[in-house]
Amino acid sequence: MSATVEPKTVAPGDGGPLNGPERTFRYSPINYLRRYGAAGLVLLNLTCFFILWELFARAEVVSPLFLPRASDMFRTLFEGLSPGGIILQHVFYSMRMFSIGMLAAAAVGIPIGLLMGASKVMDSIFSPYVWAMAALPRVALMPLLILILGFSDSAKFTLIFLSAIFPIIINCMAGVKTVDQSLVRAGQVFGASKTDLYRKVIFPFTLPFIISGVNQGMTRGLVGLVIAEIFGGNKGLGYLTTRAAQSFNPALLYAVLLVLVVFSLGFVQIVKIIETKAAPWRNYGS
Amino acid sequence: MTNMPSPATRSATSAAGRNDVVIDARDLVVGYRKLREKIELTALRDVNLQIRRGEFICIVGPSGCGKTTFINVVAGLVKPWQGTMHVNGTPVKGPGPDRAMVFQDYALMPWRTVQENVEFGLEFVKHDLSKQQLADRVAHYLDLVGLKGFEKSFPYELSGGMKQRVGIARALVCEPEILLADEPFGAVDAMTREGMQAELERIIAETGQTVVLITHSIDEAITLADRVVVVSHRPGRIREVVEVDLPRPRFEYDIKANERYHELREHVWDLLKGEAFGAATEGEA
Ligand SMILES: Nc1ncnc2c1ncn2[C@@H]1O[C@H](COP(=O)(O)OP(=O)(O)OP(=O)(O)O)[C@@H](O)[C@H]1O
Ligand SMILES: [Mg+2]
Repeated sequence: MSATVEPKTVAPGDGGPLNGPERTFRYSPINYLRRYGAAGLVLLNLTCFFILWELFARAEVVSPLFLPRASDMFRTLFEGLSPGGIILQHVFYSMRMFSIGMLAAAAVGIPIGLLMGASKVMDSIFSPYVWAMAALPRVALMPLLILILGFSDSAKFTLIFLSAIFPIIINCMAGVKTVDQSLVRAGQVFGASKTDLYRKVIFPFTLPFIISGVNQGMTRGLVGLVIAEIFGGNKGLGYLTTRAAQSFNPALLYAVLLVLVVFSLGFVQIVKIIETKAAPWRNYGS
Repeated sequence: MTNMPSPATRSATSAAGRNDVVIDARDLVVGYRKLREKIELTALRDVNLQIRRGEFICIVGPSGCGKTTFINVVAGLVKPWQGTMHVNGTPVKGPGPDRAMVFQDYALMPWRTVQENVEFGLEFVKHDLSKQQLADRVAHYLDLVGLKGFEKSFPYELSGGMKQRVGIARALVCEPEILLADEPFGAVDAMTREGMQAELERIIAETGQTVVLITHSIDEAITLADRVVVVSHRPGRIREVVEVDLPRPRFEYDIKANERYHELREHVWDLLKGEAFGAATEGEA
């Protein structure tokens, strides 16, 4: 039997004749299903979830105070997010606080982390504080911050900053410390100066670590944001959750929680996109 | 047996500078300090080796005997504990543009394409090449190692042997006075290997570069080298330096039909066999 074997990676029956080592191929319906089928399943899954939720809530198995109807939640969500709605202004406020806090944490954390990774002296100067602060649950600082800064934006900003900065520092430091020594040697052999080594070998090597530090920092920063807003003030999504709970408005409460989920996933996604753009060599296989 | 070829000498043009020593190792003792285990490990001991300009040296020896360590000392990456290493009459203080290296573990920048990795070889040295000339030179060496068409690939998209060839192109593109190559053909298949060996011999004959090449293949060592340095198991000592008196260019006749080739091969094999057993009885420390 000498049947010709089609390479498995190429969908059969499309593309050009297989006479060179490479050929282009077009997607068949099966390819589309493989690629986008998962997204379809997620959509189906969520639809079922919300329908079940709706039915469950209508049956009033639990008090409507704890579990509003999904439809009520969505209505509140759309009304709240339409121009002039109550959620929208808080979303903007939180987003602004979060962005400023994150930018500051990255701007300060990345250089400190890189320095700590590169220099033993810097490491020994900073590391006791970095590790102590990283170990301390950042929420515990909130009363102190309120004491010093009052229920102000700067208190919230500080908590976001402190929540986000340590994962960034620690990841950057780890990146520099784990730099592949044979790459450094290659740099040296081909005449790289110390600055060249940092710019052309160590920094590119560390870039994925920096991005993943920022990613972790964002998750932590978000926690900081919500906690700070719950603690005090009258603005932001965190504040809105307490207000919704206190005014017995479960539809609003659930809507805000949903916004927070999307908010968080959105930022993580942005970082992922940055990562694929900045470090395409890391996309092994995908 | 009377048509035995006389000892090979390279082309007459490089004969003038032929006898000056480029790499001069005297009483080298090199080792590593392992902080964690609090031990000092001697990798090389009592190494004396003078390498002349334009010479092609192959180093063979059991795994872990200090071959890489030796060329790292030549490259200026590792400082000897004792003894001296001179290159071109001056003590080695660090790497320099006169020496380029092919790394055993390739050491390619994963964030650079093949093309950019080869360009890395010339990125930090002063040269008077125009952008176009530089691109041509890079393309020339990529073609030479058979990687035309892969310029835009990233290392993770390449096979092991292809990565290794990028490493070779990166060193060759510098056109260094001294080429240090650490098992440069270890991961390529036999046919490609032979093609690249022939290419290397041709380049060397053209440029008069001095080459120190580490290999695990006795055949490769004898086919390429003017002298084969046989290193004993750890701590590495030079067991013997074997003159390979076969005429060049060696890829233009059937070298394996030559009786002298087999004599030499046998001889190096015997030397290494003793070492391999020695290493086995000593065990891994
Ligand atoms: N950075 C290092 N730290 C500690 N020990 C080392 C280091 N590099 C090498 N060694 C030790 O030095 C000895 C010689 O190593 P080297 O890499 O020179 O061997 P080699 O001859 O190149 O071996 P192979 O043929 O397997 O590449 C080995 O026993 C190894 O354990
Ligand atoms: Mg080695």
